[in-house]
Amino acid sequence: MTVMTKQQAKKFAGMDDFFLDLLNLLKDKGVINNKEHRVFLLTGFEKLVEHLEKNKVISSKDAKNAMKNGFTSLVYSLAK
Amino acid sequence: MYGWAGQRLRVDLSKGDIIKEPLSYEYRKKWIGGRGFNSDVIYNEVPPEMSPFDPRTRVCFGMGPLNGTAAPSTGRVTVSCKSPLTGGFGDSNMGGHWGAEVKYAGYDQIVVQGKAKKPVYIWVDDDKVEIRDASHIWGKFPRDADTIIKEELKDEDIHIVLIGPAGENLVRFACTFNDVYRAAGRTGHGAVIGSKNLKAIAVRGSGGVKIANPKEFFEICNRLRQKFKNDPMKLALNEYGSLCLINYANRDGWLPWKNLQWGGTPLANNMSGETHSKTVLKHREGCYACPICCGRFTEIKEGRWAGEYFGGPEYEHSVPTGPRVGIIEDANDIWHNARLTNDLGMDGIETGAVISTAMEWYQRGLITAKDTGGLDLEWGNEDVVDQLIQDIAYRRGFGDILAEGASRASDKLGLGDKGQYYTIATRGMALPGDDPRGLGFGYGLSFAMGTRGGCDHLRSLCCLELSGALYPGLNTKYLGDERPAKPTTTVGKPYMVYYEENQKAVVDCLNVCCFTTHWSYAVLTQDQLDYFNTCTGLDFTLEEFLEVGERVYNLERAYWARLMSGAREDTVPERFTKEPMPQHVDYQTNVGATLPIGEMLPKYYKYRDYELSTGFPSERKLKQLGLDYVAEDLKPLRKKYMSEAEKKKRKYYY
Repeated sequence: MTVMTKQQAKKFAGMDDFFLDLLNLLKDKGVINNKEHRVFLLTGFEKLVEHLEKNKVISSKDAKNAMKNGFTSLVYSLAK
Repeated sequence: MYGWAGQRLRVDLSKGDIIKEPLSYEYRKKWIGGRGFNSDVIYNEVPPEMSPFDPRTRVCFGMGPLNGTAAPSTGRVTVSCKSPLTGGFGDSNMGGHWGAEVKYAGYDQIVVQGKAKKPVYIWVDDDKVEIRDASHIWGKFPRDADTIIKEELKDEDIHIVLIGPAGENLVRFACTFNDVYRAAGRTGHGAVIGSKNLKAIAVRGSGGVKIANPKEFFEICNRLRQKFKNDPMKLALNEYGSLCLINYANRDGWLPWKNLQWGGTPLANNMSGETHSKTVLKHREGCYACPICCGRFTEIKEGRWAGEYFGGPEYEHSVPTGPRVGIIEDANDIWHNARLTNDLGMDGIETGAVISTAMEWYQRGLITAKDTGGLDLEWGNEDVVDQLIQDIAYRRGFGDILAEGASRASDKLGLGDKGQYYTIATRGMALPGDDPRGLGFGYGLSFAMGTRGGCDHLRSLCCLELSGALYPGLNTKYLGDERPAKPTTTVGKPYMVYYEENQKAVVDCLNVCCFTTHWSYAVLTQDQLDYFNTCTGLDFTLEEFLEVGERVYNLERAYWARLMSGAREDTVPERFTKEPMPQHVDYQTNVGATLPIGEMLPKYYKYRDYELSTGFPSERKLKQLGLDYVAEDLKPLRKKYMSEAEKKKRKYYY
């Protein structure tokens, strides 16, 4: 699923502190709701990746890559 | 009921009342235990304007649902009060076996209020609770008083919380011990206990802790214990205690040398865990249910202190009255000073901090021998350090001024802002033996934000920064990024600190030792949730679990807000922001570093949902956490904090 543009992904990849901005974007795009935004803020990156995979926002392969290579890999997956 | 005992023991020393109060299901779910129970009592029962020595003030001892079970390292106890050192919210926690014993006696928390007419101790023998005369042990060292009480009660297996002479003499950083050597060091609750004429709480419990799903629970505990066997942090802590950190701290430039003017010393290995183990280690000992066993006992074999024997030291207990005051050549001096602060019942961190601050005032000519009663406060002068530790505890001469803590002492000596500059404290509490220009910028941020003042390494416990590099993948798992594992970067630190603070708060509600969190990779937050649920029979989700931590953190933050302490006070000592780390060791890795606190704070506030102007938790956040009454309390204070009168005040303590 394309959640952001490649330009946005590039911007995210250059960030020093990305997590809150990423959650806000996912909420604005309707990928996660308010409650989920709160859940992932509390529980962290891995839980977000699991959720995105479970809801087929990203593929299993992308999820594995995200857990291996971090958020840069995730944001480019979200721009596919 | 599973996990919890289900009741609070309240002892009113003025009236002689002993009250047992049930803790409801909803209450237990909201606060879990330990720090959560205590913070709730302090917030609701101790008004911010009340003197910490007012007889009506409370001192709380909080246990969690896992105390007394087989879950790893669940021997902690949280001690909380309104801090006489900072004037704000204060807590500290300690290991040992006392917490488990209190659970076996049938209590989740003990709250002491009022003031006895003469020295007393409390004797909890299961259901039977007595207030007994302590005149004969008043003035005694904890180890001697412990022996006398055990003889008196004819039971050497009971466990006792005690204060030393410093607590009796209202030294503002006096601390509390259980099992003689396990200290809840910080924030000065020993003085609050002393102000109540309370010397000790002795406990014998013959009950147990019921487990909801024993099969699953013990499977989890066994699995975690197996994981510990080969964990690198566990192995180092077991072998060398927390002194295993000395050589790392020195290499990475966060070992405080002479009041943190430098971040290391070429002779650091003199006091390393490796050297300690080879020279003076007597034996090792663990706290209740602990697979790590980092505790050690020391016997000094040579020199002027030969024959001294004591429990410890820890890294944070020995560094302040060692390199922080310029002592490193003869490590026996350091072990002796640690033994002395133990016996006298004082926080080793604050003791070393106030002496090293005075030494820097002396170095820079802000004070002279006229102010010190003739003492020559030269760096590394062991005779003076030995004398000052005792003078502080007994409030004699210049020691009486230092017994107020560095920030108040600076004001008493009329040193103004210059004096405060060298106190290396935030909100009236000295920072520990960890220079954030080397230890890490996440720690620096947490020092600024700590809800017990300048705080220490245990509030946010940035394990992801401290040991993240030892466990590749750990930072990605939580933060989505490995870069924050590097200490001297701001990358990812605002979210790291937010995450770690919540996580540590819930760990303190469970009263699990910080070494048994993701400090090592053996026990992660999900593991803690699993044993919490199987122990209590609840079905908390991970977010509900961590939300308890966020709730506790915000409640404590709100206590400070009620004292008019917020964004303007969220800072670190200027030394860290203005003075680039100088080189003192040729292999040091952080030369030139300063702490860019201003870069991190606004982002951190966003994660916390704090108002940028006041730094107070937003009304929305407080309501989200079920703290509507706190939101009401803060409503009129937001405007007041932004008034010109408040803006003009320099607040070093409260």
